[in-house]
Amino acid sequence: MSFFAGYGPLAELALLNMVLAFSQYIVLRAGVFSLGSAAFAAVGAYAAAILATRYGVPPALCMVIALVAGGFFGAIVAVPLARLRGVFQALATLALVQIVLSLALNWTSLTDGALGINSIPKAVHITEAAIAVVVVAYFLHVIGMSGIGRGFDIIREDETVAVSLGYDVRKHHMIAFVLSGAIAGLGGAMHAFSSYSITPNEFGFHMVVMLLAMVVLGGRVSIFGPIVGALILTGLPELLRGFQDYRSIMQGALLMLSITFLPRGIVDTVLGRLRHRSLSRGASAKDRDGVTI
Amino acid sequence: MLAQQLLNGVVVGSVYGLFALGFTLLFGVNHIMNMAHGAVFMWGAFAGLFAVTMFDLPFAAALVIGAVAGGLLSVVLDWVAFRPLRKRNAPEFSAIVSSIGANLILLSLAQQMTATRVMRFPFDTFPIRFYEILGVRVQLLQLVIMAVVILTVVGLVWYLQRTNAGRQIRAVAYSEGTSRLLGINPFSINFQVFFLSGALAGVAGVLIGLVFNSVHFMMGEPLLLRAFVVIILGGLGSIPGALIAGLLIGIVQVLTVSYLSAGMADVVVFSLLFLVLLARPTGLFGSASGGAARVARQ
Repeated sequence: MSFFAGYGPLAELALLNMVLAFSQYIVLRAGVFSLGSAAFAAVGAYAAAILATRYGVPPALCMVIALVAGGFFGAIVAVPLARLRGVFQALATLALVQIVLSLALNWTSLTDGALGINSIPKAVHITEAAIAVVVVAYFLHVIGMSGIGRGFDIIREDETVAVSLGYDVRKHHMIAFVLSGAIAGLGGAMHAFSSYSITPNEFGFHMVVMLLAMVVLGGRVSIFGPIVGALILTGLPELLRGFQDYRSIMQGALLMLSITFLPRGIVDTVLGRLRHRSLSRGASAKDRDGVTI
Repeated sequence: MLAQQLLNGVVVGSVYGLFALGFTLLFGVNHIMNMAHGAVFMWGAFAGLFAVTMFDLPFAAALVIGAVAGGLLSVVLDWVAFRPLRKRNAPEFSAIVSSIGANLILLSLAQQMTATRVMRFPFDTFPIRFYEILGVRVQLLQLVIMAVVILTVVGLVWYLQRTNAGRQIRAVAYSEGTSRLLGINPFSINFQVFFLSGALAGVAGVLIGLVFNSVHFMMGEPLLLRAFVVIILGGLGSIPGALIAGLLIGIVQVLTVSYLSAGMADVVVFSLLFLVLLARPTGLFGSASGGAARVARQ
């Protein structure tokens, strides 16, 4: 029991990071190179924190509002962003993060600027975080199994093929942005309710890199990718606590190594191997040749 | 007042242009978005600073050392972060992720080395002298910066347009496969392009370090973010575009700071990026073919 007591906050952080990583995961799965999850998380976190501290709205309602606000924000920015591809999309979403960050820093009447918002009630504990992870993961799993998920996969692998099969790329990109915004909005709000206070700089480039690292390391097709990525990248610094100064170096090296040697991420590589093995076994048993997947 | 601010904007903007030039060169030739370009810039500034503080070298030597350090670091970056991906023919997504990782490493190394301090060039690095030109106070440093930027750009354009090596670089930018068939060594081209790109960043680093008289490990980040705006505005891969857009961003920023507020500068600059992406994703000066291929054809 003392183990859980000691590692409770860490587990809570890992679960909250998973929610945010899901937001990054869903866009990458759809072949959208968005780095905007941090901006959506900031919108959700600030919406929830302001409502809770100034208007006394109950936390649960705040989180729902944050989810809707994040999704709504995602839908608005998706209109221009879904027209862009690749590098342009990445840059535009980075600019979005920067705009939201500057607004949070300078719109002091609303956000209290660099001081951030403090004395947010603690409403999210490990249980709530775990429930959120399970619900979001299940929701994303269902979407992934549906026609939308198939559309995402085809668009990610080859957009030309997707267009020739009649998939509306723009529509799918917009769906991905809305989902990413809503999930990040929820994740940001939960972060606010878990950590008592939020400041603008939490939602900057550092968060962009962290979320990207989680999904790249874990994998961006299977729903377990972001889960594993968030677990590793939240837990690793704790295991290597003696090397705290080298934390960013380690994170950077991990990012470089995984994209170079494990370009599909841990989970997708392992799943791919297993699937390949079972397929080849089945093929040799029935002696079907020429069938490759 | 306005003329004074415009001058300041042009000086800062020309250094932005220099920085963005290296970034856009790399994209134009190798189709790499080097997210660690800001870190190269910062290390270039460090090298220039150490040349002055430790070895008492003059300003001109600091510029050269900053350029060489930036260039070499950029080449090492290519070997570590980009070449393994290029071998595998990885998508551009991989290169961005890999360079974000490299950026993180270079930043925290610098942070550890300097213990998060802000360092300054010694007071006598550059003589402080003012001139009155048409009622505008011009610092000698500002004139020298303009001269350095102009010389560097002229040198770069001469190298790319008039030398054999430059012709090869342009051939690779046009079509890598074809130029390889013609016997151009991609190894040497990559070396040159990465070195040039890093050297431009290094020079810009020393200049920015002098203008604001502060050298610290985070100095590259805002510049990299500005460079995104500059190259999108100017058109990815376009050299004149990068310069003009750099000047423009410098002026817009200085004017926003002096007439609105310092905090609004980021909002204005990045909203500009957003607007340009919306209205004209290939940039104001970009050719329709280069970047447009990467934009959705709806």
